[in-house]
Amino acid sequence: MWRLNKVRHKAGRPGGSLEELRLKRRENERALRQARRDRQLVSKRLLLNEDEEQLDVSMDTAPGGHDIVSLLHKLQHSGTDKEAHLKALSKVLRDPSAQLTFIKHENSMHLLVGLLTGSNAQCRLQAVRCLHELSHSSHTNVAPACLPATPYLLTYLSGPSTKFTELCLYTLGNMCPDSDVVREKLLAQGIIPALASCIENQRHNLAVVEAAAFTLSQLLQARDAPEKIIPMVLKSTLPSHLLSVLTPDPQFGLAPAIECAWCLHYLICSTEDNKELLAQGALSQCSSLLVSLGGAVTEGNKEDGLELLIWPLLRCVGNLLSSCPVEDLNAHLSDAHLPASLCALVQAYLHTLPALARETVWVLNNLTAHSTEFCSTLLTLNLVPGLIQLLPSLSVVSWKWRELRQQLERTTERNGDQGTSSNVPMSSKPLHHFVEKEPRCLGIVSLMFGCAELLMGFQLFGQELMTSAELY
Amino acid sequence: MLQPEVVQLRTEGRDEQQERRLSESEEGNNPFSFTPQIIRLHKDHELFEDGDIHRHMYLQDLYISEAEDKPALSVSEFACHISGCSAVFSALEEYEHHYNALHRHVCCSCRRSLPSARLLDIHIQEWHDSLFTILAQKQDMYQCLVEGCGQKFRTSKHRKDHLIRIHKYPPDFRFDKTKKERGRETKRKEQKDAAMEMVDDVCESEGVCEVMCNSPSDEPEGGESMETHEILYKLNMCKVLTTVHVYYTVLFSLRIPNTVCFGHGSVRGFGGRRGRRK
Repeated sequence: MWRLNKVRHKAGRPGGSLEELRLKRRENERALRQARRDRQLVSKRLLLNEDEEQLDVSMDTAPGGHDIVSLLHKLQHSGTDKEAHLKALSKVLRDPSAQLTFIKHENSMHLLVGLLTGSNAQCRLQAVRCLHELSHSSHTNVAPACLPATPYLLTYLSGPSTKFTELCLYTLGNMCPDSDVVREKLLAQGIIPALASCIENQRHNLAVVEAAAFTLSQLLQARDAPEKIIPMVLKSTLPSHLLSVLTPDPQFGLAPAIECAWCLHYLICSTEDNKELLAQGALSQCSSLLVSLGGAVTEGNKEDGLELLIWPLLRCVGNLLSSCPVEDLNAHLSDAHLPASLCALVQAYLHTLPALARETVWVLNNLTAHSTEFCSTLLTLNLVPGLIQLLPSLSVVSWKWRELRQQLERTTERNGDQGTSSNVPMSSKPLHHFVEKEPRCLGIVSLMFGCAELLMGFQLFGQELMTSAELY
Repeated sequence: MLQPEVVQLRTEGRDEQQERRLSESEEGNNPFSFTPQIIRLHKDHELFEDGDIHRHMYLQDLYISEAEDKPALSVSEFACHISGCSAVFSALEEYEHHYNALHRHVCCSCRRSLPSARLLDIHIQEWHDSLFTILAQKQDMYQCLVEGCGQKFRTSKHRKDHLIRIHKYPPDFRFDKTKKERGRETKRKEQKDAAMEMVDDVCESEGVCEVMCNSPSDEPEGGESMETHEILYKLNMCKVLTTVHVYYTVLFSLRIPNTVCFGHGSVRGFGGRRGRRK
């Protein structure tokens, strides 16, 4: 989780900046929510240099076109010191106005591409760094200006250098969401086979795998992805690679698994019929991973960012369950601990991340909707009372009610008497249940009434009372 | 806050699946008319919103682990529950402050929000109590707004002068408006008004009596004119009420009732005569 470590480092500074960070975070969260409502939720990633990782990113150098122009001039004309100039350029390009100036300048991109493909390896690295900064821009005009470089970036994906490949991948990933033109060009230039071979060849290099999966996820989030991109992806070897990376490496961290899980989520939720993915064992793998994560959470091993992995896995399992026919469910879900893990997840995240708990409940619903085995598992493991207790806090009452009623249906059908009465909550016959369940109380009450009648009888026997028959 | 979402999810779930299992559940002695359904959610579904936000915060390096975030209540935006108030908050303290400031001491009939219980009492007495207006003609009834001062005055103007001279209050003190000064306010609630005074609907019956009983010299100081239909309505009401306003008891209080009942068909709740605002 090297990215999370970085953020913590930033936040570990004096309290003022933590408060600012929190405020900034809230504002950004609001902006993100609005973007999601507008269906325009995109994010770009900026890869920081090692020497910059510990420092504050904000620059206080005077930015501006002046610097850019002079730097470009120097780059064009100097012979030996290009690397230093490129480094300076990449720093200057952090500033949005400098980025705009750069792309408006004539031949700037041409120059950069030339340096990217030159013979000096260090220059190439710095040049790709400049491109990366450009791609991270929030202006929609800037990233398409980098289009001339994309064929080279794609070619370099199969290269051996880690840092360089990572930068290429993140640059491509940042460029993807910006416009349809960019995506079409990338697809035409063969980004999907390139990504597939990149992951395959660099399987041992998890940083590269993470970057590749990120790029793929950016591609898959496009609006036209279901028609254009996803069929191509499904035909390639990418799904199997994604599934193989899903198990997190304890040393490197969860990051590659997170990216792959999100890619799988986008793949699964965009297609109605997930036969190929099911055939490749997606459901069994995701569910067994969920089980192990649920176990980790129950043990109290709440690693930071675990929910980042749990979230997409839940969604994958939930949607896969809807495409998997009931008969094959057992074949795919060999792990019977899934219901227990899901319940554990609900309880663990109920208060900290209620949205996650809600999605877990959704998965439980899908799991037990048509399958009697899982219903009975829930009942035998006595998980239902726990779930009932959580109902008020969840406010997704509709789903849990469905589930509980399903189970009751099943048990009444099979005439199971294992705790049926105890599982009927909020029944509308309180007196009936009282009579059923408390025979002792009932007996005592009857006894008291009977004694009273008897005593009255003794008293009334001696009196000459007219019965109503005599009255009439 | 989440209830509408839930309902929508339910209907969406039904739309997304073409299940025809109703017939199945009707057979037999099944007490539940419910069909189990698998729900498939697409990428942009509402339920996925929080998870997506979480992910994008992580991508943008704004992720804070729970340990660091504990002091602040990690709650996404929520809105004030009072109908008609559309304020949105992201922290509990904000909401508490808003509620205490704007929704605590609210007059039931004109929906004005006042800063303290005492001012609320005075407001109700002076504005909505017809017995007060009768008594005010004979004796000093207008209390000084400052607690502990205890002086009473014949008219609100005297009180205002007293406040300005003795207690150094500003001449445009918000909570000392007379009834006639508020003629221009609209009937609809102004939602963007974050100030203390919330807009009201016209006080009908008591205002009517005042119009008829007071001498014309007391007519609008501020020069506001009421709309004609309001005047006609008031005249009509006055005819009905002159006979009964004597019986308006002092006990009739428009404050929050002492014992409140909620629930289906309850009478002692907050439902006012003036129509419920949903």
